[in-house]
Amino acid sequence: MEAVKAQSRLRSSSQNPGVLPLLPFFIFTGFFLLWPVVAVTLKSFKGNYNEWTLDNFRPIIHNGPYLHSFIVSVKLAFITASIGSVVGAFFAFVMVRYVRGRFRNVLDSIAAVFANSGGVPLAFMFIAAFGTNGLATKFIRFLGYDIYAGHFTIFSFTGVVLVYTFFQSPLMILVFQPAISGMRKEWREASTNLGASAATYWRRVGIPILLPPFIGAFFLLFAGGFSAYATARALTSGTVSIVPIVIGALVDGNTQASQANLGASLAVGMIAVALVVMIGYVWAQKRSTKWRQS
Amino acid sequence: MGTKALYKVATIMSVSLLQKWSIIIFASLLGLILFILPVIASSIYSFQKPGGKGYTFVSYTWLLHQDGFFASMGTSLKLAVLAGILNIFLMVPTMVYLNLKGQKFKPLVDFICILPLVIPVVSLAIGAQNAMPSFLQNSQYELVFFFVVIGLPFTYRTLDNSLHAIALKTLVEASRSLGASWIRTIIRVILPAIRGGITGALFLTFALSIGEYTITSLLHWETFPTWTVVASQQNILGAIALSVFSFVGAIALLSTIAVFAKKGVQQVEVDR
Amino acid sequence: MSKKDRVSSTLELRGVSRHFGPVKALDGLDLVVAPGELVALLGPSGCGKTTALRIVAGLEVATSGELLVNATRYNEVAANARDMGMVFQSYSLFPNLNVYENIEYGLRARKFDSIQRAKRVAQMLELVALESKAKSFPHQLSGGQQQRVALARALAIEPRVLLLDEPLSALDAQVRGQIREEIRRIQLELGITTLFVTHDQEEAMTIADRVGVMNHGKLEQIDKPITLYNSPATPFVALFVGLANRIPAEITGQGEAKVLNQKIKIFDSAEKFSDGAKVNLIIRPEALELVSESDNEATRGIVALKSFLGPMTKVGIAVEGAPLIHLNIASRDVRKLEIGDKIAFKISIDQVMAEHV
Repeated sequence: MEAVKAQSRLRSSSQNPGVLPLLPFFIFTGFFLLWPVVAVTLKSFKGNYNEWTLDNFRPIIHNGPYLHSFIVSVKLAFITASIGSVVGAFFAFVMVRYVRGRFRNVLDSIAAVFANSGGVPLAFMFIAAFGTNGLATKFIRFLGYDIYAGHFTIFSFTGVVLVYTFFQSPLMILVFQPAISGMRKEWREASTNLGASAATYWRRVGIPILLPPFIGAFFLLFAGGFSAYATARALTSGTVSIVPIVIGALVDGNTQASQANLGASLAVGMIAVALVVMIGYVWAQKRSTKWRQS
Repeated sequence: MGTKALYKVATIMSVSLLQKWSIIIFASLLGLILFILPVIASSIYSFQKPGGKGYTFVSYTWLLHQDGFFASMGTSLKLAVLAGILNIFLMVPTMVYLNLKGQKFKPLVDFICILPLVIPVVSLAIGAQNAMPSFLQNSQYELVFFFVVIGLPFTYRTLDNSLHAIALKTLVEASRSLGASWIRTIIRVILPAIRGGITGALFLTFALSIGEYTITSLLHWETFPTWTVVASQQNILGAIALSVFSFVGAIALLSTIAVFAKKGVQQVEVDR
Repeated sequence: MSKKDRVSSTLELRGVSRHFGPVKALDGLDLVVAPGELVALLGPSGCGKTTALRIVAGLEVATSGELLVNATRYNEVAANARDMGMVFQSYSLFPNLNVYENIEYGLRARKFDSIQRAKRVAQMLELVALESKAKSFPHQLSGGQQQRVALARALAIEPRVLLLDEPLSALDAQVRGQIREEIRRIQLELGITTLFVTHDQEEAMTIADRVGVMNHGKLEQIDKPITLYNSPATPFVALFVGLANRIPAEITGQGEAKVLNQKIKIFDSAEKFSDGAKVNLIIRPEALELVSESDNEATRGIVALKSFLGPMTKVGIAVEGAPLIHLNIASRDVRKLEIGDKIAFKISIDQVMAEHV
């Protein structure tokens, strides 16, 4: 009797409830994620009297402060992603190769904290360290160099680059480690055994395998560096004109009403750039797993 | 092993002992300068007496005395707790169902959960301004929903990983064939098994919500982070102290957990 | 590239040791592999067999001892200059290169020109019968196919010595036998000196000219498979190579022991046994025979187990004062035997090996 009951339970479970249990999720994300994106996209194509227009995009395309802000954003993202990816890849390599056990766990957690830092606390810490009277500044001065002798200030573009690198590199460490761990030592040993030098191994096997994940990670860092808002805002109070800051300024209402929809077009512009980057990332991911064994 | 042995290894295979330690020392120094120096420098700085020589804890307590500290902190905590709870109630059933029966929807859900990483939060904020109905826009609780959205990529990843780590299908089949109902199976078998993932997702959402600045400030709400930025304009030392405290605190907390966690990455010692 | 064109090499290890601090992974290994011979190193994990192989390959350094190839000292020769071909347990093919490029990898490193390379690769593909897969990538091949490519890649460079590190362990049971035979066939065809490491005794016994049984970094015995089986030098070897019973007994003096209902002689061994000492006798199933109950040397018991193995049947007998005792009997002789039947047996050989309890 029990067996029959159990059997019938199993059978009824195979009736497919379909998409029903997922409805809460779809409704939630539909309303709070997709709808705002759609709304801002629609808004960017509308003028002051609700007519369809491309006018909102003109200030961006024409050479002016808005185009400039996009260029600065891309520059910032590119530079910090480049530095971060190279530095992070180096540390990731050292960690995978030479650090083991609990200490590795600890380093990984610390990297996670650094990678997710950003925003307000980070900005303040760097002001404390590298501001005009910051302790690091003083320490370096003590060593003989005055970093403020030139045009550098922590509140400038270069300062923002410095701060961004602080969280881009650890992010790279976290993201790139799996790729390095996936390098089997048998490959290196087989290569050596067959008579090849280290350089040959890296040229023919190592680098070709690591390049796609490296590029993928670079895209990830780029996307992060491009979208970041809080850090730059807290650090520079708006003096470095990257797109998020410009949008923030528009939202804070320091501008004319006719530019209300400009914020929307800027936001859409950011989405467009981010989408392009993500396509690059997905492509790189595909290449990374192309040769993976099942 | 003598010095001769140090070099001897170089002729045999890849890196000699000397090279190995040079790399490690260089990496440690670089790490120290790039990452530890700013933390230490800012930590020491935070203990400075405002406008003078000497060291004090004053900056750490200053913030506590400011108007709005407790109010904004309370708001942040409240919103963070709500976001965490909402996240769990929304995502845990979704992820469990997704991995059990709803496999064919997985790519779609995966994609949706990646979107918050792609779409700049700034853009989402602007969108929220335009899209949200007024009753929501007038309430700070709208932030709760967006905190959950922002955390989706990490929540998805965390829950997915922990569901993969257990033999979900086997557990469910075993439980069901022994006569348990679906509810019982979920509550008694699945949830305990993914306890780690649930805690992780909860913790992540909570941490994210407490520190979220972008959407909060663009939608003109006052939470702890936004209040801090404003308050700091009067006393930067206080803000620095707080930043240092939260940063160092997070490192200390996570490192301690890591030390007591499972054994960590082992290499198979070549002792065959 | 056939046997007559090749001059086979001699491989010798003299007192080779490898220490990790207090741990001795390898403790004074002496081994000679004759030209064209296939020697298998057999033993449980941690016995040092893989360490020995890797020292020969140059992937690890011996802390003492000498490695000689054709009487030339090889200890200081770089790992990529040793002209040895190695096949790893798994995952050693370069995933971003196809089969053809994998096989020609060593040839390119030796600066062969493209015509020479093409010729050699074609030969290798024919040798392992994978011509149709030349353009495939490792992840598109089965485990068995991958190992065949790994073998072809190692042999392409015409190495002096072929080294195999448990090449079959990661394969499905079915495929294992096939690849095993292929390896042996190719090895014999090329006449290449080979060192083969495994923990599977059936593998070692079927494939090798000689088998070296290792334990805790030491070589316990190295002999032809049949010698190893019939004349094991130590209890460890006896128990590792083939099945054996461990039957409790008591030493009665003068190299004899009382076991079950019999008196039997003991082989001399390094261990000395004092009179009255409790020992285990190591006795193979085929050294026991069924007898009638009236035989006064017979031990009586009850049939507890009957496993049909084909021509033979394994019978497990429960006897008071001893663990389950296994016999191998011709299946036709035990057709009528059932579990629970009373049965009698005795040891049919004169001399056995003993070990301390």
